[in-house]
Amino acid sequence: MPSSMIDVFRAQLHSSIYWYKNNKWMFFSMFLWPYLLVGVMLGLGALVGNVSLFSKRVGVVDPAFYLLSASAVAMSSVGIVDAVAGFALYNRWLGTLNYIFLTPIREAKLMIAAGIPDSIITPLISVVAVAPAAFYFESIVGGLKLVIILLIMYMGMIPLVGLSVLAATALLFVREESNIISSITPFILLLSGVFYPVSVLPRALQVLSAYVPSKYVVDAAKLAAKYTSMPWGWVVLTLGILAGLGAIYNGVASYVVTKAEVAVKRKGVE
Amino acid sequence: MSSGNAILAEGLLKDYVTYIRKGFLRKRKRIIHALRGVSFRVRWSEVFGLLGPNGAGKTTTVKIITTLLLPDGGRALVNGFDVVKNPIKVRESIGVVLNVERGFFWKLTGRENLKYFGMLRGLKGKDLEEAIDRVVKLVGLDELRSIDKLYEEYSLGMKARLALARALLHDPPILILDEPTLGLDPPAARGIRELLVRLAKREGKAVMITTHNMFEAEIICDYVAIISSGKISAQGTVHELKRLVADKIPVSIKFSGKIASDLNAVSKLLFESTLSPHIRIKEVRDGFEARILVDAGNEEKAIASSINALVSKGFNVRRAEVVEPSLEDVFIAVTKGDGENAVIND
Repeated sequence: MPSSMIDVFRAQLHSSIYWYKNNKWMFFSMFLWPYLLVGVMLGLGALVGNVSLFSKRVGVVDPAFYLLSASAVAMSSVGIVDAVAGFALYNRWLGTLNYIFLTPIREAKLMIAAGIPDSIITPLISVVAVAPAAFYFESIVGGLKLVIILLIMYMGMIPLVGLSVLAATALLFVREESNIISSITPFILLLSGVFYPVSVLPRALQVLSAYVPSKYVVDAAKLAAKYTSMPWGWVVLTLGILAGLGAIYNGVASYVVTKAEVAVKRKGVE
Repeated sequence: MSSGNAILAEGLLKDYVTYIRKGFLRKRKRIIHALRGVSFRVRWSEVFGLLGPNGAGKTTTVKIITTLLLPDGGRALVNGFDVVKNPIKVRESIGVVLNVERGFFWKLTGRENLKYFGMLRGLKGKDLEEAIDRVVKLVGLDELRSIDKLYEEYSLGMKARLALARALLHDPPILILDEPTLGLDPPAARGIRELLVRLAKREGKAVMITTHNMFEAEIICDYVAIISSGKISAQGTVHELKRLVADKIPVSIKFSGKIASDLNAVSKLLFESTLSPHIRIKEVRDGFEARILVDAGNEEKAIASSINALVSKGFNVRRAEVVEPSLEDVFIAVTKGDGENAVIND
């Protein structure tokens, strides 16, 4: 019987769970990572700059909460790009790619379905990691804001998966052993305005950032840190933009992957 | 299971295009003719061996048969399904081992790895658990109590067994294995070989292996194809292949005592004793053994007549046996001793 996308999703989800189970320290470090990052940034900021000036320029009330939320978004974005685009590269290194491609399913469906579990798990872990801080700073309201950010992150994940599938297809062609993704992710983070406002970027990059899904998630994190109540109109608009980007990127990705499938197989899966 | 051949390859062609850098910006195109019309068939309940030197096209052939690579020409049917037109059906029909050293997740246990690959193929719940227990037992990993160890702790022999377990997990009718015993110690290699023969003979599966190991091919393969420079140079049963290189069959005749100390005298004596146009004296070893060559096709008659002649002349013949050319002799003769032998056009 041919395999379905659900079979691939289930297998990948289980393998991630097994991996976390067998790498407990790595798993726990994922919860510490946002705090370490924010600690270093605030510490360095206080030493060589001015934290209140940073708050004023970026437009946030509480820089620690903002930076924590932004770190969660950054970690999720990197995680999603890694999960989908890095899938081919990681499995090629391990020698598992050939065996995965022997699954009786179209390669395009396989690559999309295989990236989804980690795209769900990583944002969830990052939000759970910053939840104690959210409750500490803003009690139940902070918690609710995190739920909103998580939902927006999941919406942001959909177009990001499309972008990552395009990157994964390119990786299958390029056959480079170096990790190209590590060059892509900082660029995405820069254009998302995770740690610096997009407004300080050159004009061309500002235009480009409008097409980067994680930019909208970062904006949501900023708003959550800025307001005591969420501007619901803005939330709906953001969700609409992300849905639109998701439709475009995933549409293009599935078309490109379907076309690339034959070309990749002509060259050979390795 | 299709009623015809398990695998049928007809005129498979494959070229690879590579580029040689000739400076910072300049590069020259190079075409490697990896396959130049490869044809063979694998029957049910048969162990088929594809033998060839490095770069001969073995792995390219396996990749085409397993749908991981598209051919440039020709066709291949697996379980009756075309590898280009119906790759999903082909993948359902095959279990594959490509490299016994890698191909699993290092930080997962053997069981977790099998669960992952089983789930990819749609197995779940009790069916999956039962399938894992069945294959673990079949490949002998249960005896080693290693299935719940992390894969990174596995020895090469255990890795090979796990690779075979994965290939068998969905109980495919066809097994395709690329160098399945490469680097294994003799007991581990023997275990794998015995299992492959058992799967073919008892369960009716078609088993296709590629190997450099002539001994292995000779003892387990029902049918062998030798690939060289992207073409099948020879194919047949091991016995048929040996006949290709031997129009004269060597026969060893051992005597109870030393027949003479002067080898020329012995040769002369033997020649005079066995005056048959079908027999030639090849060599006399240490005075106790003589090797003669008899014409293929008449060997039984020629051997009997030479022994009779020797006995009638008073020689004490203790033993006579046909010394068959090894598959290695055939391999070297057919591939002309080539090493890396892909055909390259710049």
